[in-house]
Amino acid sequence: MTCLLPLTYTLLKSLRCGAVAGLLCLIFTGCNLQKDIDVELPAVPSQLVVECYLEPGQVPRLTVSETVPYLSSPTPTLLTDVSVVLTLPSGQKEAFRFTPGLDTLTQKFFTHKGKNPLVAKPGDTFKLDVQDTQGRHVTGTATMPALVPIDSIRWKFNDKSTEERRAYLLVKFQDPAATADFYRLQIHKDSISKDPNRDFELDDRLTNGQLMTLGTSYRYSTNDTLLVTLYHIDQPYYRFLQSVNDAQNANGNPFAQPAAVRSTVEGGVGVFTILSYNRKQVIVR
Amino acid sequence: MRLYLSALQFSLFVFLSALPLLAHAQQRFTLSGVVRSAADRSVLPGASVAVPALGTGVTADSAGFYSLTLPAGRHQLAISFIGYQSQTRELNLVKSQRLSFSLPEASNELGEVVIEGTGTLEQKLQTTQMSVEHLNARDAKLLPALFGEVDLLKTLQLKPGVQNGGEGTSGLFVRGGSADQNLFLLDDALVYNPSHLFGLFSVFNSDAIQSVDLYKGGFPAQYGGRLSSVVDVKTRDGNAQKFGVSGGLGLISSRLTVEGPIVKDKGSFVLSGRRTYFDVFTRQINKLNEDTEDYNPIPDYYFYDFNAKANYKLGEKDQLFLTGYYGRDVFGFNSTGGFNFDFTWGNTVGSLRWSHAFSPKLFLNTTVSTTRYQYQIANKLDQFGFSLSSEIRDYAVRSDLDYLLNDKHTIKLGVSATNHRFNVGRLSASSTDGSLNIGSETVYTGQEASAYASDNFKVSDKLQFDYGLRLTGFQSGTDRFAALEPRGALRYSLTPKTSLKASYAMMYQYVHLVSNSGASLPTDIWYPSRLNVKPQRSQQVATGVSFLLGQGKYLLTNEVYYKWARNQVDFRDGAQLFGNSDLDAEFLFGKGWAYGNELYLEKKAGRTTGWVGYSLAWTQRQFPVQRGSSGVNNGKVFYPTYDRRHNITVVGLHQLNTRINLTASFVFTSGAPTTLPSGRFLLQDIFGDDVEAVPIYPDRNTYRMASYHRIDLGMVYKLRPKHGESDLTFSVYNAYNRRNPYFIYFEQVRNKETGDVTNFRARQVSLFPVIPSVTYNFKF
Repeated sequence: MTCLLPLTYTLLKSLRCGAVAGLLCLIFTGCNLQKDIDVELPAVPSQLVVECYLEPGQVPRLTVSETVPYLSSPTPTLLTDVSVVLTLPSGQKEAFRFTPGLDTLTQKFFTHKGKNPLVAKPGDTFKLDVQDTQGRHVTGTATMPALVPIDSIRWKFNDKSTEERRAYLLVKFQDPAATADFYRLQIHKDSISKDPNRDFELDDRLTNGQLMTLGTSYRYSTNDTLLVTLYHIDQPYYRFLQSVNDAQNANGNPFAQPAAVRSTVEGGVGVFTILSYNRKQVIVR
Repeated sequence: MRLYLSALQFSLFVFLSALPLLAHAQQRFTLSGVVRSAADRSVLPGASVAVPALGTGVTADSAGFYSLTLPAGRHQLAISFIGYQSQTRELNLVKSQRLSFSLPEASNELGEVVIEGTGTLEQKLQTTQMSVEHLNARDAKLLPALFGEVDLLKTLQLKPGVQNGGEGTSGLFVRGGSADQNLFLLDDALVYNPSHLFGLFSVFNSDAIQSVDLYKGGFPAQYGGRLSSVVDVKTRDGNAQKFGVSGGLGLISSRLTVEGPIVKDKGSFVLSGRRTYFDVFTRQINKLNEDTEDYNPIPDYYFYDFNAKANYKLGEKDQLFLTGYYGRDVFGFNSTGGFNFDFTWGNTVGSLRWSHAFSPKLFLNTTVSTTRYQYQIANKLDQFGFSLSSEIRDYAVRSDLDYLLNDKHTIKLGVSATNHRFNVGRLSASSTDGSLNIGSETVYTGQEASAYASDNFKVSDKLQFDYGLRLTGFQSGTDRFAALEPRGALRYSLTPKTSLKASYAMMYQYVHLVSNSGASLPTDIWYPSRLNVKPQRSQQVATGVSFLLGQGKYLLTNEVYYKWARNQVDFRDGAQLFGNSDLDAEFLFGKGWAYGNELYLEKKAGRTTGWVGYSLAWTQRQFPVQRGSSGVNNGKVFYPTYDRRHNITVVGLHQLNTRINLTASFVFTSGAPTTLPSGRFLLQDIFGDDVEAVPIYPDRNTYRMASYHRIDLGMVYKLRPKHGESDLTFSVYNAYNRRNPYFIYFEQVRNKETGDVTNFRARQVSLFPVIPSVTYNFKF
């Protein structure tokens, strides 16, 4: 599907809020229509939260935390009593070490780490087992999706003056016809250690087997270095990403239904998946 | 074919056994005619023609026609209608005859004390119909309004049993029903989306409207197709005597109406239009800021609508009524990123009604109508274009026969048929160079038909029944459904001033609103019943007691209702509602219950009129585990967002003198249920230096926001122009500037220097502070 679809959906979701807010801004500029309030939230037992993205050639890393009351202190608690075991496609089990640290490449904090770089090919299935001493037990299974290569990356500048001259980007790739496929596209500027400049997920429901075109609005300047990453993801991870978006959007949107996060793991919250991606670097000029 | 036979045998037995077979010994004659406004000769549907001494009376139909069978002899007739001065007339009835009445308007420059409408309370006491609210556009225009925009649907929200969907919105939630379960009729033509500006205003322009009847229960057999309410809107006929122009200039919109005779006393027309002008201001603001760096232009937004009505008397027995409505909302912006977004939506409605009187006792009304609701979103970026649209289009025909068999029986029979075309999603994406060309469209058709029969049976002066049966059927492709919907109501007069009433109604709804927003949005899609999407059904029982107090000036009514429904519709979490060719799979079905008590005191006579309403109500829904889903709320019962335990409304209108009308309204409702996240977890994602807090939601709608209350004040000040009439209408919405909760959200508090999250806090957002407004209205 074209680049405009994800943006349209986002706009639709925020349209009513935006329109009402616009009207209000127009009429009550200066009115303070917000205030802090005290709320009493129901106490719910905390659950283990697991975040693990396996990647061939990289030593596996995993982060374990737990859910906390929403209005509690923002300082996270480091869980020290959690054991993690990864089952490889061969059936061999690998226990992760508890070695909290920072992944310098991804800028992500992790709590547990494997021993060896991961060996995986599309179709390989891994299993994850996470337990703590309180009896909380999270399990997950993930299969590595096939690689879908980026076919081409193109850009086009607008006709504005040098200062306002911007380009949009088009990323094309061929969707496999035989399967229901899910993708995530990220565009980073300069470095993947920073937050992506564009980030959205989509499926091939309406475009199965076609040459897909994804893109952006006019937003890139001359000589911008862009890292374009196309992830071919599985459906559970796609649902997880969407549900996280929905859950976050429901906080602050009076028209959104509260949505439960659909984890890819069982017994807790979180995601366990194997990354299969194609990344290309371009300099816009 | 699925046939719902519940209560069938009982209903048929009651219906057939009670058919009138009685003869009458005493000589009786029929009095019939039309009740009109003396000012412009327009007909007055709902006007009361009564003989108080006999405790009998009738209400004029939609053409203002009444027919009353009385014993021969002298009678004193009382003719009344809300907003008009009542009349009494002596009559010696020696044969059947026609007698028409013209009622002067209640409020006029002469300034005599206005006595109006006592007969309507008497009529309300006597009728079998319960759970109905009548609203005259003239009354609604006196009441204070948000931004000075008179909105009949918002005035209806001031009646007990009716909730709004949120601050300032015109959506109706009637006795626990959702916003898509209301049947909106504009001169018998269906209106699918009755709101402008995402629900803040209704599509019904008060200048074009004569009156609105809202049925909350005890539905007459001629109505069907929605579960929870019928909102029957009748437009004005226009002045049959002379040409006139009226209009208004308001804070956010202007209105203009032209009316006059087509042929004097044979036909008249009225054309009404209005348009908002936010866009005029926003464009100026954008222009002033166009050189500002990083300025995001305010999107263009406006809506407009046109109403047209014409009627023409073909002869003594035939009259034609033509009604049209066309309205559009237009929203668009051009982002700095070169992305154009245009969004339009609206209704197109038309109806043609032929009214024929075979005799003073037998009338036939036949209506052909069409209605269309559509939205279209068009995006453009350089050579790429994308559009998304949806449409529902109906063609319908209905015929209703009213037969005043004798003074004990009034029979109503009718049939209707509708052809629906549902374009539930049309997507296209293309580029001018042909490198992109994607299209998707899902279209369904549906045929809906119904037939009904009912009898209003006056057993005695004390006891009266209204019972009927409605047969409905629907097909979409090879999927067919049919159902029998029994209806019944009774009134027993305990004393001449006290009535006991009871009613039962079963309703089916074959079309469903696809929306997971919990509110009506322009992008809502209507969807037919199909193999896996069963029709919705509700049943409601209600009982009530009415007292006429204070020499007939006050009517005190108390009603208790219980409603239960099945096949209620919701959607899976994360349901894909746009461009989904398998939308069936996204539906979830559940049960609903609503029950409560409504107390209502109204006064319609004298300088001071108004009402006080109090409702105590519960609404619950349950969507169990089904079709691979955990249902809604893990299958547990929950309160929907429009559940309100207590609701108090007080509305007062006072005519201070000939030039000044003062009005006030007070609303109190219990806090709305909402869902707040109970917990959170941190998500780092694959790459990037930001860590996000993801909310975890507990059971649905377990938190209650603070209660809602406000007072609105209004004043209508009549000017004395050289020509015609004019007034200034002042409104103050939310006069004591209460910060009512609109929604609550949680946010991260960050250290301004380091950007680190230091705390989380809950914020309450209010929508409308005190809003004064003034509108200039004119008529000449």
